[in-house]
Amino acid sequence: MDREARAELTRLLLIIGGLLAAIIGLFLLLNSGDPGTLIAIFSTRFLGIFIEAVPFLLLGTLVSGLIEAFLTADDIARIVPRNPVAATLVGTFMGFTFPVCECGVVPVVRRLYTKGLPVSVGVTFLLAAPVINPIVLASTATAFGFGGILIGRFVITAIVAFSVGLVFALAARPREVLRASSLNALAPVMGGSGDAPVTIGGAIALPTMTAAPRKSLVGGLREAITLAGDEFFEMGRYLIIGSLLAAAMQTVISQDLLLTLGRDPVISVVSMQALAFLLSVCSTVDSFLALAFAGTFTTGSLLAFLTFGPMVDIKSMLMFLGVFRQRVVVYLILLPLLMTLLIGIWINLNLSL
Amino acid sequence: MAIGTHSHDHEHDHAHDHADSGDLRLWLKTAILIGLGLYFVALIVSGGLTNYINNRFSWLSYLAAALFLITGIASAWHLLTAHRRHDHADHDHANHGHEGHTHGTISWGVLAITAVPLVLGTLVPSRPLGAEAVSGGVNVSAAEGAQVQTLSVPPLERNVLDWLRAFNREPDVTAFDGQEVEVVGFIYREPTFDADKFMIARFTVSCCVADANAIGLPVHWADTAALPQGEWVRVRGSLQTGDFRGERLPIVQAQAVEVVAQPDHPYLYP
Repeated sequence: MDREARAELTRLLLIIGGLLAAIIGLFLLLNSGDPGTLIAIFSTRFLGIFIEAVPFLLLGTLVSGLIEAFLTADDIARIVPRNPVAATLVGTFMGFTFPVCECGVVPVVRRLYTKGLPVSVGVTFLLAAPVINPIVLASTATAFGFGGILIGRFVITAIVAFSVGLVFALAARPREVLRASSLNALAPVMGGSGDAPVTIGGAIALPTMTAAPRKSLVGGLREAITLAGDEFFEMGRYLIIGSLLAAAMQTVISQDLLLTLGRDPVISVVSMQALAFLLSVCSTVDSFLALAFAGTFTTGSLLAFLTFGPMVDIKSMLMFLGVFRQRVVVYLILLPLLMTLLIGIWINLNLSL
Repeated sequence: MAIGTHSHDHEHDHAHDHADSGDLRLWLKTAILIGLGLYFVALIVSGGLTNYINNRFSWLSYLAAALFLITGIASAWHLLTAHRRHDHADHDHANHGHEGHTHGTISWGVLAITAVPLVLGTLVPSRPLGAEAVSGGVNVSAAEGAQVQTLSVPPLERNVLDWLRAFNREPDVTAFDGQEVEVVGFIYREPTFDADKFMIARFTVSCCVADANAIGLPVHWADTAALPQGEWVRVRGSLQTGDFRGERLPIVQAQAVEVVAQPDHPYLYP
């Protein structure tokens, strides 16, 4: 699984990169405009998105590093109530205590499962935490201001995550949902030497969790900074590829074509969902990419991008496969996909935000 | 393509297998972190930041500069001390004692992608969006912002955005006839414009250039043909209602058009 997933990811990244190069090349060939000017405009757009977004990515990786350095799974398991509905509700808002983006959430959830976290709570947390946390709140507000997009993003995410969590709470048993490795294979790592590096889906390394005494402040900080640096490279590439694509689309694709796609209440939503899935951009920064489409695409499609993307994309799908059984991963993709699709279309047809 | 965080990896026998290329890549990783930190510092010091984002969010770039430099320096320090430990270990023939040593490996592909912002940022000369970046025309109306006190701005100090907002609020299009105008912007012309008309345009940026939107005032100026597209100018004149692109609008009847340097803040912040 590790190597396969990694090869698959590499292939997808290459395809996206190739596509980008092809679009730019084609445009340079067809367009009579000065290529130097075009590259300058493209570069300004790309760097604008990157410069505005990267501080949030760095903050996210730092928080994730701090969590890994200073919190044990016991701390997290302690706050979850026993009642399934109440627990699912807690899962929805747990992101406020553990601000992790979709990149950081999968390892945390897997670690929690080995500590006996109810399946439904983990699922809800998995889907909700990448959006419902202070860092994403701040970055979305930076990009769109306080208004319909910000509120819509949080409300829709809460509804979808809570509903999917409830489905799991009522209908699933852990052994049918989780891969064996998430149930017990980790146990020796959790309780024992804590030495073995564990990778999930080939993409994210699960940092070692030990039951050992807490780290010293300085040691923990050092570890957190090192982890943040690593995670910047892990996640930064998705941001950079996403920014390149968004800048290329703005520079290269004609306004008319974008408007044709973006004004249709149904096609716009589907396009933005596909884009969210392919770009796999971290939820802390995806608002800045959505901003690039704000002038041309419907509000419902922007909200679908901002809610579906953080729940499901290429990289989180690969990571899901490391935690859940395949059949369950299909549900974890399809339920959010359909729900955000319907909500997005409904918003386009009924609301003017 | 992935970075793993391999704790205590060096205690295993492949500790030195990847030493050469692996170390080079880890140093490159460190260089990219520090390089990005220095790039942000350079943007802040040179004022180039205003080509990319709304000035209101410049503090985020200070934060980014600090975090890049901290992680970069931590990474460099880590590599340096790791080397010293390696040397000792080799010397003593005792490959132990790498307690708490966390080592991130990294692939060439990731390094290449992450270097893209540095390469574009340093090799492509930085310049703000201008007339060539206008797609779909320049708007003659502007959305209202959250905190607008346009009407408190004295008419002669109003910029393009202030004027468009003032027009928005006034249902009578002729209400501004005769008012004096002095605005700075870049020349924007389309082939369909009358020979004596151009637009004095600005980009508005709410967050970063991703949401850049071109707005402008139509200007009547007999010598328009001599004005190069994209040039920054200051226009002085007075408003007079007229027809522009099939709309009744206040049009600036220019008395003077002088070429000026690009302003420090090329974008207007709604």
